[in-house]
Amino acid sequence: MSVTAFLTDSTLCIGCKACEVACKEWNGVTGDGLDWSGFSYDNTGSIGASTWRHVKFVEHAPEPGFGGNAPEMNSWSFSSDVCKHCENAGCLEACPTGSIVRTEFGGVYVQPDVCNGCGYCVVSCPFGVVERNEDDGRAFKCTFCYDRQKAGLIPACAKACPTESIQFGEIDTLRGKAEARLEELRRRGMRDATLYDPLDTSVGGTHAMFIVRGDPRSYNLPPKPEVPTIYLKKGWASSAVAAAVLLGGTLLAFLADGGRNGRRNGR
Amino acid sequence: MPGLGTSFGRGGATTAQQDLANADAILIMGSSMAENHPVGFQWVVAARERGAKIIHVDPRFTRTSAMADIWVPLRAGSDIIFLGGLIHYVLEHGKEFREYVVNYTNAPTILRDDFRDTEDLDGLFSGWDADKRKYSPETWLYEGAPSKETGGEKPGHSDVGGGHGKDRGGEAEDAGKFEADPSLEHPRCVFQVLKRHFSRYTPEMVERYCGVPKEVFLKTAEAFTSASGPEKTGAICYAVGWTQHSNGVQIIRSAAILQLLLGNIGRPGGGILALRGHASIQGSTDIPTLYDILPGYLPMPSFESDSHKLKDYIKKHKARTGLWANFDKYFISLLKAYYGEAASAENEFGFKWLPRVTGDHSHFGYWLEMADGKMEGLFVMGQNPAVGAPNGRLQRKALAKLKWLVVRDMVETETASFWYDSPEVERGELAPQTIGTEVFLFPAAGTAEKEGTFTNTQRLLQYRKKAVEPPGDARSETWFMYHLGRRLKEKAKKDARPRNAGLNALTWNYSTEGQHAEPKVEEVLQEINGYSLRDHKLLENYKSLKNDGSTSCGAWIYSGVFPQPGENKANKREPQGYLGHGWGFAWPNDCRIIYNRASARPDGKPWSERKKLVWWDEEKKQWTGLDTPDFEKTMPPDAKEDIRRGQGVEALGGAKPFILHPDGVGWIYVASGLKDGPLPTHYEPLESPISNPLYPKQQTDPAADKKERPDNPYAASPGDSRFPYVLTTYRLTEHHTAGGMSRTLSHLAELQPELFTEVSPELAADAGLEHGEWATIITPRGIVEARVMITRRMRSLWVDGRRVHHVGLPYHWGYRGLVKGDVVNDLLAISEEPNVRIMESKALVCNIVPGRRAAGKGALRQLFFGTTRAGGTRTSLESKSVESK
Amino acid sequence: MSEAKIHVIGGTRVPDSSSEQRLVEIRQEAERRGEVRAIGIRPSGAPFPKASPETGYYGLPLLKQPPWTWKIPLYFFAGGAAGAAAVMGAIADYAGADRKLVRDARWIAAAGAVISPALLIADLGRPARFLNMLRVFKPQSPMSVGVWTLLGFSGAAAATAFAGFMGERYGPSLPLRVIENAGQAASLVFGLPFSNYTGVLIGATAIPVWNQNVGDLPIHFAASGLGAAVGLLEMMGNDKSRALQALGLGAALFECWEGLRIEGRGHSHFDPLKHGPSGWMTRAGGVLSGPVAFVLRAASLFGGNKHSSALRRWAGISALAGSLVTRIAWVQAGHVSARNWREPLQIPVEDQAELLGGS
Ligand SMILES: Nc1nc2c(c(=O)[nH]1)N[C@H]1C(S)=C(S)[C@@H](COP(=O)(O)OP(=O)(O)OC[C@H]3O[C@@H](n4cnc5c(=O)[nH]c(N)nc54)[C@H](O)[C@@H]3O)O[C@H]1N2
Ligand SMILES: Nc1nc2c(c(=O)[nH]1)N[C@H]1C(S)=C(S)[C@@H](COP(=O)(O)OP(=O)(O)OC[C@H]3O[C@@H](n4cnc5c(=O)[nH]c(N)nc54)[C@H](O)[C@@H]3O)O[C@H]1N2
Ligand code: SF4
Ligand code: SF4
Ligand code: SF4
Ligand code: SF4
Ligand code: SF4
Ligand SMILES: [Mo]
Repeated sequence: MSVTAFLTDSTLCIGCKACEVACKEWNGVTGDGLDWSGFSYDNTGSIGASTWRHVKFVEHAPEPGFGGNAPEMNSWSFSSDVCKHCENAGCLEACPTGSIVRTEFGGVYVQPDVCNGCGYCVVSCPFGVVERNEDDGRAFKCTFCYDRQKAGLIPACAKACPTESIQFGEIDTLRGKAEARLEELRRRGMRDATLYDPLDTSVGGTHAMFIVRGDPRSYNLPPKPEVPTIYLKKGWASSAVAAAVLLGGTLLAFLADGGRNGRRNGR
Repeated sequence: MPGLGTSFGRGGATTAQQDLANADAILIMGSSMAENHPVGFQWVVAARERGAKIIHVDPRFTRTSAMADIWVPLRAGSDIIFLGGLIHYVLEHGKEFREYVVNYTNAPTILRDDFRDTEDLDGLFSGWDADKRKYSPETWLYEGAPSKETGGEKPGHSDVGGGHGKDRGGEAEDAGKFEADPSLEHPRCVFQVLKRHFSRYTPEMVERYCGVPKEVFLKTAEAFTSASGPEKTGAICYAVGWTQHSNGVQIIRSAAILQLLLGNIGRPGGGILALRGHASIQGSTDIPTLYDILPGYLPMPSFESDSHKLKDYIKKHKARTGLWANFDKYFISLLKAYYGEAASAENEFGFKWLPRVTGDHSHFGYWLEMADGKMEGLFVMGQNPAVGAPNGRLQRKALAKLKWLVVRDMVETETASFWYDSPEVERGELAPQTIGTEVFLFPAAGTAEKEGTFTNTQRLLQYRKKAVEPPGDARSETWFMYHLGRRLKEKAKKDARPRNAGLNALTWNYSTEGQHAEPKVEEVLQEINGYSLRDHKLLENYKSLKNDGSTSCGAWIYSGVFPQPGENKANKREPQGYLGHGWGFAWPNDCRIIYNRASARPDGKPWSERKKLVWWDEEKKQWTGLDTPDFEKTMPPDAKEDIRRGQGVEALGGAKPFILHPDGVGWIYVASGLKDGPLPTHYEPLESPISNPLYPKQQTDPAADKKERPDNPYAASPGDSRFPYVLTTYRLTEHHTAGGMSRTLSHLAELQPELFTEVSPELAADAGLEHGEWATIITPRGIVEARVMITRRMRSLWVDGRRVHHVGLPYHWGYRGLVKGDVVNDLLAISEEPNVRIMESKALVCNIVPGRRAAGKGALRQLFFGTTRAGGTRTSLESKSVESK
Repeated sequence: MSEAKIHVIGGTRVPDSSSEQRLVEIRQEAERRGEVRAIGIRPSGAPFPKASPETGYYGLPLLKQPPWTWKIPLYFFAGGAAGAAAVMGAIADYAGADRKLVRDARWIAAAGAVISPALLIADLGRPARFLNMLRVFKPQSPMSVGVWTLLGFSGAAAATAFAGFMGERYGPSLPLRVIENAGQAASLVFGLPFSNYTGVLIGATAIPVWNQNVGDLPIHFAASGLGAAVGLLEMMGNDKSRALQALGLGAALFECWEGLRIEGRGHSHFDPLKHGPSGWMTRAGGVLSGPVAFVLRAASLFGGNKHSSALRRWAGISALAGSLVTRIAWVQAGHVSARNWREPLQIPVEDQAELLGGS
């Protein structure tokens, strides 16, 4: 079983949202609400329990004579976001029920029949992906189309994408492709093209890589995501100190006080 | 699509979307292809990845612009100036593909000496009849063609019908008599006329009136026109950003001229791709839902002209040379398909039973009659005119004049519910109690719930099976029409009045299946394909059709889709080669790029190895290549032409690719077939902020019909101070047209939940608009409110010494569905482009003011009395800017 | 700055009429500032949303806020107090302290043992599936460690209190003694982490204000829990215990220091603890459990017998309230921190006023 990944290339994305809709249709995701945001053409805002694929619209001022593909300009880019399926996944590590598991395809999968809705994964995801669905009580996010992959199909979002902006495949091959693509884009003059795949952070790389133009922060891609398990050592050390101090302090207080107070106080 | 029809011979896209990947440059103009044809756009992306230059010319920076190399913002409605500028650029710099132009176009043809150009007559071509408000086109003909004085046939379309006609220009008998000058030097040859005609379309002119900076224009012109010649090709894609103008057909004609000059028709990576709208809208012109043509672009006989006898009708429309020499075969086979046994040579194959066109029965034609109370009943099937059609208020109020209305749809559309929840009811103009219209709402089966074909934008028929049973009482169109026809026939049988003769003669013997007696759709497709009546064998293609009543064919252009029992080519799913042969069936003859004889030199060899498509195989003595040759398969390239005396396609010889034309060449100049001139020339939209820079005396297309009346009023033009801004309407990927199929689904509705208007920061400052707040947009016809989206993707353009601000409005909302909004079409006027009778939805004028519109009756008061407001013009901005410093 | 350049091709395009100049300015202003400040455009009210390295993605939060309701801070509070009480009860017992104190402490622990899981379970999206927590033990998940701790603690504390109660009511017996002693030992063992593990629980998350304080949170929470437990015991009448006084003083002193630490740090991570409602709440909690409690206790040392009890009780109440407010404040700060897209995107705040203006 090969380990798979997404490479989402915003230089090929036309912002059609087919991926977003295909995901919702395939997975029977609930509606996201009917509010107009005024944020370019993005009215679903972010990934969450009711949107597992989400297309971002990063708008700048275009100039006549330069289309969005012009190397000089990055006028309106669309980038389809998804759960990163982190190599070291905060959600997975945090989940107390073992509901979140890593699949044979390398994806991070929430087993809906195990999740009890504790919500701990929600605060443990450095990308703000997984979310508790308030109607249902459980946590939801992209399944990496585990069901489809099991059946030998590619994920619904990748299937629906008309321009191959969402590429799906074997992870090492895709990493190679990403590098080649980046080189190609740079050669064309798009020196602002970057590959987002936080390999050098504690997240240790992701199964969803992104090629974007300009600063990834414009796309809400954090420069230095950390898997929260890195805080454990410090936390438990502090916890041990606290316990020791509490134990010592209490011992000291009661031993020093002896039984006298008690006797005076007693019946 | 007479723009393409008259230029090349067939009213269909000349190429396939897959072939765009081979282009060296793609000009997308009058369409936001990435948004409205996202799946087809993958081949534009593919071309871009291979190094092609993608150019998008659009008043707005859209998702398509975002994928382009060059975005050119232009003033809505100035397309012909821009395209004329490109043509001028080609001619000025000698960029034309000479060999192609000389051999494959009518550039050498010499025109009559009494032809006068718009440049001579201040904006009119010769032949304008000011009283009848139309052209008589004799003077447009080629030298040697008969004039009125010398008698002879009047060429061109019927006067009464719309303009679809045969979609190929008139000129039948007379083709052979013209003179030509292959050196292109003769002062009256098309090439020279063209040069003079476009001489004023300079880059300066483009800058001044389109609002396109000269540098941007020159960059664009160089990028596109260099995709020409033996080694290179460029393609043009357009959609309703061009067609929905009062001179839309002429815009498309400009593109045709450009592509003919550049030698880009019939060649890989070239062509003009008309991006058609609804899933099978191409199919619905091929086998038309239009009133003035019959299947396969055969003209509907007209009552007034001399089409009372089959003989006269055929004489009028049959050509001597070219493919239309077979007109009678196609037509009589169609009559045989209609009337079967009842059609015989003795009774003119039932010609007299065909209805005659008596007037303008286009959507707007009859709708206005409906508004005047002249219609009793209406079937609306798969349309939602209460939202989708211009002047919504008029459209809806007209519905209330009907006795009955049948709506077949998958949802209760605004059209079906107009009588109780339209804005007119809210505003007190209509009251449910007093509306006499009886509304019948029939549930329709959706696409996945029925079997049949789609004909898509590239003339490709694709068959699909039923995926699920339709729910409840929902039934397919085929079912409905079949059983309706059956019942009508039963009634007619009992009533022997002559008016029923046609109905009684009609064959209506489809077999049915299933518990609902659903007609077998493949049988219908076989009927369309046609068969020989002698042995009941299916026809291999249209070449087997006969004019003696021995063949039957429902649509000659589709012939070949079902050549043998069990071989439904539309249902084939094994694509091979880059053009995807083996997947579906493209008419004609599974040819994916039409006129592809032009991909070879006159001598039959490919222009270049890189751009080879179809060529002459010396050994096999036949045409061969990567596509089905759109040519007589065995006619060698050196076969002599004999247009003067010859018959049919053979008369054109071996080197004339445009076989539907009587002269076998592409028409840069359209001598007949169009109602508003043989050459495109710039007119301003019916409502415009500026006066026509070329012809001050001729503001708008003279032949366009404004249908102006009290309930369809216009702003003063040019420059109505009450409506200082240009308004344009368009689509969003997230919704579909009138919204019945998208506003009703939460997964789509949530993506664009509210009507918004796109404005530039400059306009926002000028009109006092705030992002996210409300604005009210007003035209003489209507008033709508929308949320404000201030975006730098909208441009305020510098046009002729002043600012022109655009107000952009997507038009998908209505008063029903999960997300509701005002009907943008309430703002539009009903108007008719002269050839296809479409409205002008892409360029008009409006005012925009901050805040919501009044509710109820107040909205009408605001519409009629409150259209002006203090300030809001350019001058006020100046004073504002002083204050704000 | 990523200010997009306005490409004026060839430089000939800008006609120099004054209105034209103004339009160019408007466009530049729109690009630079993200809004247009002209007459007719409300200066503050017309956000012109931007996605940029300075604004993130339209200022939309990157992280998700904790999905928890009021039950979770309450759980933190109850657990902290109960854990500390259990520790005190056990030690007091071993040290031979007053029986009432031991009994009261056990009751507090037992009450916590019942309330804590109830709160936790009630807050689950699917409470019926609480037992799924017991499918696995995951040392790397503080929630998992915490649940097992909670389980051990609850059982032990409840057993201890139960056995103690039975013993007092029906007379001592061997089995009861065994249960009581074992339970007490276990509740000491579990009580120690239980009183502070919630600091690790929120500290080891992606929420910046929490994980940036992960080294302090457990100690802070332990002190807070201790203060609360002491306060409760005092309110139950153990207001003469010098040991409690000492522990209360210690806790209050630590909370003073914690408050100073937070106030003293300039990093923006600490903003939710200092600004806005969550900031005020943090301060209120800190002041109540730190300085106020400390001063009252100090006063009680000199207040003479008559006032001393009352002052200590007030100090206890203050610490108790402070502890509750502190827990709520930290969770609230987590919400604010999650909404702040600047932190995870590492975008420095340029305009302090802007930050104070809203979240
Ligand atoms: N998602 C989606 N796809 C669709 C549809 C849909 O509703 N939704 N509708 C289908 C149908 S029925 C059709 S007909 C096609 C239409 O497809 P398009 O023609 O692409 O549709 P529009 O968005 O109406 O208009 C295209 C563009 O024309 C621009 N425009 C406006 N005025 C002018 C002008 O004067 N000159 C030029 N050059 N451009 C101008 C607009 O800004 C707009 O970007 O799409 C089909 N595909
Ligand atoms: N302002 C403005 N107005 C425009 C345009 C514009 O660009 N600007 N564009 C124009 C264009 S190009 C078009 S095509 C029109 C479109 O305008 P309409 O055709 O009036 O609008 P649709 O919403 O496409 O209507 C199609 C209806 O058919 C129903 N339907 C779908 N499938 C079936 C079926 O199988 N059977 C039946 N019986 N019903 C079915 C759908 O539910 C829907 O209600 O709008 C035009 N109006
Ligand atoms: S992105 Fe978040 S939800 Fe997805 S695997 Fe990583 S930590 Fe889990
Ligand atoms: S909410 Fe569900 S998936 Fe998330 S941590 Fe809790 S049990 Fe695991
Ligand atoms: S992989 Fe499947 S679940 Fe994940 S975003 Fe794509 S379609 Fe949705
Ligand atoms: S489907 Fe592909 S092109 Fe469309 S929005 Fe998603 S990623 Fe972009
Ligand atoms: S909806 Fe159908 S026709 Fe339209 S783009 Fe998608 S696949 Fe093509
Ligand atoms: Mo359309």
